[in-house]
Parts: sequence; structure tokens; C-alpha cells
Amino acid sequence: MHNYNVPIIKNLSENIKKIKEISGGSSDVLINEFVTGSIKCALLCCEGMVSTALMCELVFEPIVNIPAKKDSHELFNHIEKYMLMSSDRPKADNYETLFRLLNSGFAVLIADNINYALAFGIQGYASRSIQESSGESNIMGSHEGFVEIIRTNMSLVRRRLKTPELVMEIFQKGEKSSTDLCLCYMKDRVPKKLISDIKNSLGKIKLESVLSTGYIKPFVERNKFELFNSAGTTERPDVFCSKLIEGRVGIFIDGVPFAITVPKLFCESFQTLDDYAFKPYYSTFIRWIKYMAFLTAILLPAVYSAIVTYHPELLNSTMLMLLVEAEKNAPLSITTETVFVLLMYEIIREAGLRFPKTVGGAVSIVSGLIIGDAAVKSGFVSTPLLTVSALAVMSGFVIPELNQQITLLRFAFLISGAVFGLFGISLLGCAVLTNICATENYGFPFTAPVSPFSGSGMGDTAVRSDIKKMQDRNFTVEEYHE
Amino acid sequence: MNKLTKFRFASVILISDIFVLFCLKGNISAITAGGFLSGILIQAIISVPFALWIKKGKSIENCGNFVKIIFMIYFLLWATAIFSMFWDTSEVIYIPSQNSGIFGKISVLSAIGLVCAYMTSAGMKTLLRSSVIVAGMGAVCILIVMTSALLKSDFENIKIIRSEKFPNEFARGLILSGNLGSFAVLLGNAKGNAVTNSLIYFSAKIIITFIILMTAVLLSGGIMEITDFPVVMSAQLSQPFPSQRIDSLFLMIFSIFGVFSIALQTCLARYLFKSLKRGS
Repeated sequence: MHNYNVPIIKNLSENIKKIKEISGGSSDVLINEFVTGSIKCALLCCEGMVSTALMCELVFEPIVNIPAKKDSHELFNHIEKYMLMSSDRPKADNYETLFRLLNSGFAVLIADNINYALAFGIQGYASRSIQESSGESNIMGSHEGFVEIIRTNMSLVRRRLKTPELVMEIFQKGEKSSTDLCLCYMKDRVPKKLISDIKNSLGKIKLESVLSTGYIKPFVERNKFELFNSAGTTERPDVFCSKLIEGRVGIFIDGVPFAITVPKLFCESFQTLDDYAFKPYYSTFIRWIKYMAFLTAILLPAVYSAIVTYHPELLNSTMLMLLVEAEKNAPLSITTETVFVLLMYEIIREAGLRFPKTVGGAVSIVSGLIIGDAAVKSGFVSTPLLTVSALAVMSGFVIPELNQQITLLRFAFLISGAVFGLFGISLLGCAVLTNICATENYGFPFTAPVSPFSGSGMGDTAVRSDIKKMQDRNFTVEEYHE
Repeated sequence: MNKLTKFRFASVILISDIFVLFCLKGNISAITAGGFLSGILIQAIISVPFALWIKKGKSIENCGNFVKIIFMIYFLLWATAIFSMFWDTSEVIYIPSQNSGIFGKISVLSAIGLVCAYMTSAGMKTLLRSSVIVAGMGAVCILIVMTSALLKSDFENIKIIRSEKFPNEFARGLILSGNLGSFAVLLGNAKGNAVTNSLIYFSAKIIITFIILMTAVLLSGGIMEITDFPVVMSAQLSQPFPSQRIDSLFLMIFSIFGVFSIALQTCLARYLFKSLKRGS
């Protein structure tokens, strides 16, 4: 492991030699040597990371017209005091900082006989424009989603929360990637202990690179086995702002169009911004539909398999006859059939996700028409079972945030129902409930406000109360801290 | 355990109490209900001095190691007793594999054991949190069974009294109070006034016991002689929907309450064991 935390060499030619040595002669590191104010200087930049137009206008043009100076210190002093080349003007006194700035799109000025460098933020790399979020679309709210550039994301939040209470602290993580991370919180809403605890957790990161939220989440979640995520993610600035206002802490990662929020509660997975745009009674109805969909997505195939296999007396005679008729020609047992259908679905879904978009249509045709239709017509899979599986899968789409957990739990419940019937489903239900209740993050129980019960919290969980009532509550998650 | 509110305190013990009622064996009548309720009333009265003792800042954990060991053994024995009730009662509630030889029995036992062990390992705080949700589910289930039972009740059944005698039923009610051990340990950890907490618990216990026993009497009173488990039978007889049976709901609640009751006892034993270790 190289240590570049060494002071910058005073001699310009030696300095340039060292820079070339550290960069390994990388082609994208551009070194422009020139003389200004009768001092030998060099302007460094990383190709493709800076805006050429900004560099010419804000750096080159003013810098070459500096009158003669007696030494480099006077030159740098003049630049710092009398020239406003960019709003972001850090200094680098060692090669580690110099390269971090260089690789972040800064133009770096070095000169002969001086042991530090001046940097000018003139970033101009290609980036995706602000678009609608793909995974959290809504009808009535904003259509802006986060992008890969951390500063753009910070501005999206700042535009919505203009209060000085909003704090954004940038720091770097990743020994090789030096990725910018930004800790966001409302300093009047978040207890100091939570912030210091999260900072401590983030301080434990010793990764070489930080390339997605998955690299950071394990550090801000408990290490115990938890089925559900106790740190949330969102790609919507409006949702992110609402979490900050509720006293949560947010983390941005440069290069990732998602933000992490800590802590996360189970009920949050069932809340969308649209809930607050619709009439309360409709939002309450939709919320209960989501709760039912969650249970249907997990339990329906298992309950179907258990009842048909072990508890047929629970069905009425018409339903029983219908199922007997449908299942009598199926060559496989109900459990095998269900596992097969659900596995096929997972394979098709994965194929649809990973395939190039141009082939996506073909995947749909093959899966929907050929596999589905042919499997039923050939008698390989019974129609009721296919209906049940499709209903379970469709219900899972209602809560996309819980897709991973729903998929695995659906299989686990199916197997327990197949082995022990409804008794097995109940036993596994106990274990899952225990796991959910054991989930907590920084002392915030995942199951709040159901357990620990909070009557006022139910106003945005069991129902969606009127906004006028909610505005008086001044809610923060701290209410649930145990 | 420092977050044990009065509702969590009451719900966690009531779940076990209700499960014991589910597993009630033999004939019951209105006399049984009277005997049981009197038994609970006596317990409530006896608990007042204990609650006052707790109110002074005392608790079982602060007692000597001998008391803790006694309670620990008691919890383990009561867990075994609950498991035995679970096993006996499950014969009338169909559990697949249970009747398919020794392998089937072992697999059911292992499944119950695994879930109980996991729940115990998750700790008391988790169990207390889940108790509120489980109690809510139980309340909905009892409400459905009770509502449908009311529609099918035969009020003449209240008059049917076979061999039940009040002193015997009173004693039976007292014997079935195995959860008083949990009450004793948990009361010391519950937030708020110990006397109030105790009264809330016993009031709820009286109401629930009355509802469950009277539902069983009203529904299965006429066939009590051929009924092994009257509460289970009443759940089987109470069918709220014309063509579908409610047994499934009862089976699920029965299993959940069962493992929860066992886990509560083992969790408390573990809690006292930790307290012993800390003390030594």
C-alpha cells in the first residue's frame, strides 16, 4: 500500500517528476507548464473531468496576465487575494490531497519553490441529467430523482429545505476510490448521540472503494441477522427531505443515485408521497391494500399448498371440487408445482432485468405466452395454482421495496406449509415476527409505532390522518427510541 | 426489560394464560367458570401485598441466588408443562407429520424446539415487543370466534351441570395459574405503579377467562361428555361462515400462542440465569 501523504516537493521539475511517478504516467493527467509573474508554474488537470470552457475563461485568461512577482509565495498570495477563479478553492499540501482534488475535477496550480498547490473547482464531467426516479414513481408529487453527482443531489435537497438547520457534511471514504460521502441531517431534529453514533459507524469503513449503497449500509445497520433492512434507501429528493424533517440522518454517496436514510421503520415501506396528496380516506384504503398485498405475496402460495394438501376440510365443497378437477391431471405434487412456477417466475424476472432492453420484449413473449400458456395447456401446471402464484407475484409488486424479503419468505413459507401445513406456517410466522421485532437500528425499533405502541403514530400507519392534524404533531422518530 | 409498559406486561402474560385455557381438558360448565373466576379473584387479592412490596423498589432479581434458582427451575418446569399441554391438545388439531411415526413426531418436536430456541435467543425485549402484535392477533381471533359463537349458542347449556363441584373447580382454577411466576418476575420490571399494573392484568384475565369459558359452555355444553378439549371444540363448532370453517384461524393462533408461551418461560429462565451470572 503506497502512502502519498507526503509533503509536496518545492522544486517544480522534481515536483512534476514525482506527480508523473505517482500517476504512473497516466494519459489523462495533463500537465501544462508555463510562466506567469516571471515564476515557473504548471497547471494540472484530469482530462474529461474539467470544463475546458471554464478553465480557459476562469483560469487561463486571468492567470497569464499576472504582473511580475518576486517569488512563488507572492504569486500564490496574489492569486488567493485578488483573483476569484472559482468558488471552491482548496489548497493541497501533500500528494494525497493533490491527487484527490485532481481526480475530482479540480485544476491544480503548482509553482517553483513552493510546497503547496492551489486548486480551482471547475468540474465539467459528463453526467446524467435529473430524471424521474425509476423505482419510486408517483402521480402527484415531484418528478425529480437523484442523479449520480453528489453535489447535484445536495442541491436538490437544499432547494427543498432552505433552513440553515440543514447540515451537509462531506467526507471521503474508500482507500482507492476516495468517494465523496455526504452526511445530511437537520441539526434541530436529530439527537447529537445519533449523529455521533453514525459517524462512529462510518469511521469503521476501511473499504478500497464505495460503489453503491450496499457498501455503506452494513456499517449503519446492526450486524445481527435481520431479514429486513433497518436502513432505508430512496431515489426521491422529496421523500429524502421528509425523512430528514422526521429526524432521520441521510447519507449520499457520489456516483450513486440513491440516498441512505437511518433509521428505517417497517411501516415506511408502505408509505408513498402520493398518500399525502390524496384524500385521507382513499390513502387509508390504499395503505390497507398494501398491507394485505404484503401478506398475500408471502403467504398465498403457502396457504394454498397447505390447505389443498393437508386441510381440504377448510374449503367449501364447490371450491374443493374445482381444485380436485384442476389438480387431478397435474403430474407433480402441488408443492413441487408451486415451487416450479415460482422459480420459473424468478428466472424470467432475472432474465428480464439483466437482458439488453431490446431483447426484453422477446423475454415477455417467451415467458408469458409460450411458457405460461403451454404449461397450462399441456397439463403440466394447473390453472388455479398458476392463478395463485400470479396473484402472489403481482401482490409483491405493490411493495417493491420489500421485494427481496418477499421472494425469500414466499419460498420459506411454502416449504414450511408443505411439510407441516398451517401449523408450519404459524411456526415460521412466529420466527419471522420475532426477527422483525428484534430488528432495530441505533435503538429505534423497526416495528414502531405498532410495538412499542404509539397511538399518535398510528395516525400515519393504520390510517392516514388529515394533514391539518399531522402538522400539530411535530413528529420526529426520536419518539420511538428505546 | 426496562421498557415494559403496563400493556406489554399484561399482554405477554395473558397470552400464556389464554393458551392454558385453550388446552383445558375435561368437562366444564358455568360452575367451572365461577370457580375459575373466584380463583383469579383470590390471586388478585393475594397479589396486592406482593405489588406493594414491588412498589417499594424490590424485585425477584434483587433477591438472593436461591430465590432466583427456584424461579429458574420453576420456569423450566412450567415450560415443559406448557409443551406437554401443547402436545396433548395438538392431537385434536391436525398437525401433519405428527401421526406419521417416530420420524414425524421428531420433526414436529424439532420444529417447535427450533422456533422456541430462536425466540429465546432473541431475548426478552424482542419477546415483549412481539407480545403486543401476537396479543392483537389473538384478540381478533377470539372476537371472531365469540361473535360466531353467539349466533350458534344454546343458552340452555348454562343450566347443564354434570359432576362439577364449586370447590373442585375453584381448586382447578388455582392449579392452572402457572403463569404467576412470570407475573412475579415481570411485575418488578414493569413501568408505572405495580398495584395498578397488577389490577389491570387480573381484570383483563377475569374478562378473557369469562369470555372463553362461557363461549365453550354455550357451544359445547350439550356434548361436553364426549368432548376432551372443550375450548378447542367450541372453536371447531363456531363457524361464522356458512360454508367455510374457522378451524384454520384457531389452529394458527393456537400454535403461535403455544410457542410464545413456551418461549416466555425459557426467556425468563435465561434472564434470571444472566442475572445470576452477573451476581456471581
